[in-house]
This record gives sequence, structure tokens and C-alpha cells, in this order.
Amino acid sequence: MLIQVVISGLVIGCVYGLIALGYSLIYKASGLMSFAQGDMLTLGAFLGYSFYGIFKLPFVISLVCVVLCMFFLGLFLEKAIIRTLLKNHVLPVYIVLATIAISYIIQNAAMLIWGTQTLSFPQIFPIPLVGVLGVKVQPEALFCILMSLVCMVALHIFMKYTRFGTAMRAAAMDATAARACGINVSFSTGVTWGLSAGVAATGGILLGPIYGVYTMLGAIIGRKGFSSAVIGGFGNMYGAIVGGILLGLVETCTSAYISSAYKDIISYSVLLLFLFVKPTGLFNEQALTD
Amino acid sequence: MAPLLEVKNLNYSYGNILVVKDVNLYINEGEIVTLIGANGAGKTTTLRTISGLTDASGVKGEIIFNGKNIQKMPGNKITSLGLCQVLEGRHIFSKLTVRENLLVGAYTRKDMDNVKKELEEIYTLFPRLRERMEQLGGTLSGGEQQMLAIGRALLGKPKLLLLDEPSLGLAPLVIREIFEAIVRIRNTGMTIMFVEQNSKIALETADRGYVVQNGQIVMEDTCKNLASNEEVKKAYLGED
Repeated sequence: MLIQVVISGLVIGCVYGLIALGYSLIYKASGLMSFAQGDMLTLGAFLGYSFYGIFKLPFVISLVCVVLCMFFLGLFLEKAIIRTLLKNHVLPVYIVLATIAISYIIQNAAMLIWGTQTLSFPQIFPIPLVGVLGVKVQPEALFCILMSLVCMVALHIFMKYTRFGTAMRAAAMDATAARACGINVSFSTGVTWGLSAGVAATGGILLGPIYGVYTMLGAIIGRKGFSSAVIGGFGNMYGAIVGGILLGLVETCTSAYISSAYKDIISYSVLLLFLFVKPTGLFNEQALTD
Repeated sequence: MAPLLEVKNLNYSYGNILVVKDVNLYINEGEIVTLIGANGAGKTTTLRTISGLTDASGVKGEIIFNGKNIQKMPGNKITSLGLCQVLEGRHIFSKLTVRENLLVGAYTRKDMDNVKKELEEIYTLFPRLRERMEQLGGTLSGGEQQMLAIGRALLGKPKLLLLDEPSLGLAPLVIREIFEAIVRIRNTGMTIMFVEQNSKIALETADRGYVVQNGQIVMEDTCKNLASNEEVKKAYLGED
């Protein structure tokens, strides 16, 4: 039983981690948070369903198409809505409200395009179950864990070892200094929003085969992803991943050993506990005013 | 020969407040020029406006750099033309390493082989940066951060280097060290303009100076003449 619990904890935990990564990137780059992160996941799952299930493209091609589409959507939302509001000197809290509006618009649009039924995402692998340490699991579950980790490592390499990634980190730390170094800060912020959307959508296309695809798929996951980001240390990339996996494990363990009815009570209590006892999160991100 | 930088009738207003009024100045190639003046006189705003780092909607006038009018250009483009600024307060990327900070300075450049060579030159100019290469920028002392900020700007391969208050918040010995480095950079043929509240060291270092008061230039002359001017002595050098 334990192995099964750990695997399903890792599956959802990795997806929380991907969502949390997006929150952290956006927070660092813009000092804002986007409540549409969860809906980016939903949209990713629906687009994946369309490319893979309806248009019958190979899975890898579908994945690449989804990430590209969502990257440009994220970039577009930042340019068209967030930046415009910022230019009009709108207070940050209203911009956060705007992201809630975007979230509902995406949910509703998805409902109009794909309907209200839960769609079943066709299998990615020809075999329904594989054995791992004596238990049978969906290969898609292992794939989800693996791909999430690959995605996180790739993002780490991009941010840490490429010129543009370093420039993005610099721009997030100090926009004026970054501009003085020749960095196009508005572009790098847009790319950050695009990456966040792309990463969330990857979570969606990985989770689709396991959970099914429906309009509210990302709504709850989005909130949990936010909790994960706080637990890890809001704004810290590595904290987001660790926080996500931790929350996923806590949740599945609660469901398995106590009762799934308490799952959300416990995971949100963990969030509150962190806010009270260690607001800086596991990775000591700055969380207090001076 | 036309000056490397020519600023004509520059005005900058922040909302309804006119911060920079009709500023005219020029810098010839190879010169080292200073802007001195009291706190809040508009020196920093002038420098930032030249670099395109202020809100463009408040800017009026002409800024000609290397024969090009850059007044409407965004700051990052201006930097890539070779007008690099060391910002007031240093603005180090605190969570990037010293090396990463320096390389971000070379962001606009494609000639990575030369960048590597110049990185070595900067480590020779400021040996302390070499020792602290892998340390995070935020862990450096104020003086080391200033060296890092200067090194970062130099890696942008400037034709004109602007420095905003290089002495700010530093101990006298460290200030001397920084200004010795500025002189060494100048001796390589670099054109430099710097803003400084420490008028004494500014007038000792530069060839020519402008005195800024309430957003206007009230005096301009060689530093030698400015240093012996009675008004300057009284107001800025603390002599009777």
C-alpha cells in the first residue's frame, strides 16, 4: 500500500510543483501572482486532448504544440493585459483581480469549446499497467513523475546556465540595473509569464491521462500549487518543487491512512502552519517586511 | 570633431515638477567630466535621463550620442550603443554570483572571446573580485560592490562610462581606492562622466566640471578653475 500511496503522492505532488514553479517565477519577475495558473493547466490538458486524442498527432508532438501554444498565450496575456494595467499605474491588487477574471474567462471558454463532460484522455502507452516494486501502476503515472522532474531540471539549467536565463533572473532582482545592462526587461518578464503558462500546461497534459480532462481540473490544483509555493518559500524555484512534492505526499497519506474527507483540511492547515511558524518557507525566501 | 555626447536643452519633469531644467552639456572623446552639486540638485535624474532610465514621457530636449539622437530610445538599447552607467547605490544583483553579475554586464555583446579576455582585465583591475568570483553579490562589502558595479558596466564595452555617486556610503580609504581605479580606467582612453557629492575628490579627478543647482547648470569650467572659484569653495568645498 505504501508504495502506491507514495507514487500517487509523487504524481500529484510533481504537478503541484510545476504549478508552484509558475507562481514563483511570476512573483519574482513581476511581484504579482496569477490566479490563472490552474486554468493554464486545464487549458493544457484540453489542448493536449485535442492534439493527441482528436487530431491523432504523436504524443511528443502534441506535448510540444501544447507547450508552445501556452507559452505564447502566457506571453500575450502579460503584454496585452498585465503590462497595460501596469502602464496605467493600477495598484497590484487590482492586477491580481484581473488574473482572477482571466481564470474565469478561460474556464468558461473551455466549457464552451470542449463541453462540461469529463473527457477521457487516450492512453499514451500501449500497456495499461506496469509493475513497480510489487504493485501495479499506470505507466502514465510514472511518466508524469519523470517528465515533471525533467521539466524542472530543464528549467533549472535554462535559468542558471544560459545567458538569457541569467538575464531573466537579473531582471527579476533589479529591473533598473537590468535595463542599464542592456536587458529588455519587458520582454524578459513576458517570457517569464509564457514559461509559467507552458510549465502549468505540461502539468495538465501529464495529468490528463490519469485524472481525466474537465473544466475544473486546474481550479483546485491551482490553489494547492499556490500552497506548495508558500510552503517551499514563495518565489523560490527549488522551494516550489519541494513544497509541491511534500504537499502531494501529505495529501495522499492523509487520504490513505486517515480519510480522504480530511485531505483538504490537513493540506490547508499545513499552509496556515507555515504562514504562522515559518512564512519564509522551507527555502528561507524573504517573506517579512523589514 | 563633434563631441561624443551632446545634451541640448534637456528638461525632465516628474508629474508636474520640473526636475531638470534646460540642461546643456557636452563631453569630448577621452575627457573625464564631473557634475557636482548638493543632494537633490537633479544630478542623478540628469544622468538617468541620458541613459533612458527615466520615464520617457517626461523628457524633452535632445541627447546626441555618437552622432545619434537617443532621446526616445529605451534604456536597454542605449546601453547596447556603448553608453553604460554605474547606478547610484550600485544596484548589484544580490543573488547572482560576482561572475554572473559581471557577465550580465556583457549581455548585449556577441564577441564572447573578447568578453573572456576583458573579464580577466577586470579581475586584474579589482583583484578582490577574482577572490570572490563565486560569492553572491549581496555578500560583498560596499566598496567591493562598487568595484563590481564598475566592472559590470565596463564589460558592456562602453564608449562613454557614466558613474553616479561612486563614493556614496563608502569609507574614505575605500573612496580613494575607487577613484584610483577610475583614473586607471580613464588612462586606458575611456571617456567618463561622473556625478559626485564629494566635490573635493571630484574636482581633483576630472578635467572639466559642471555645477548643478536646482536642476540647472549654474557654472561650467575646468576643474582647476572651479576649485579656485570663491563661490565653489564656499558652497562645495567647505572652505571660507
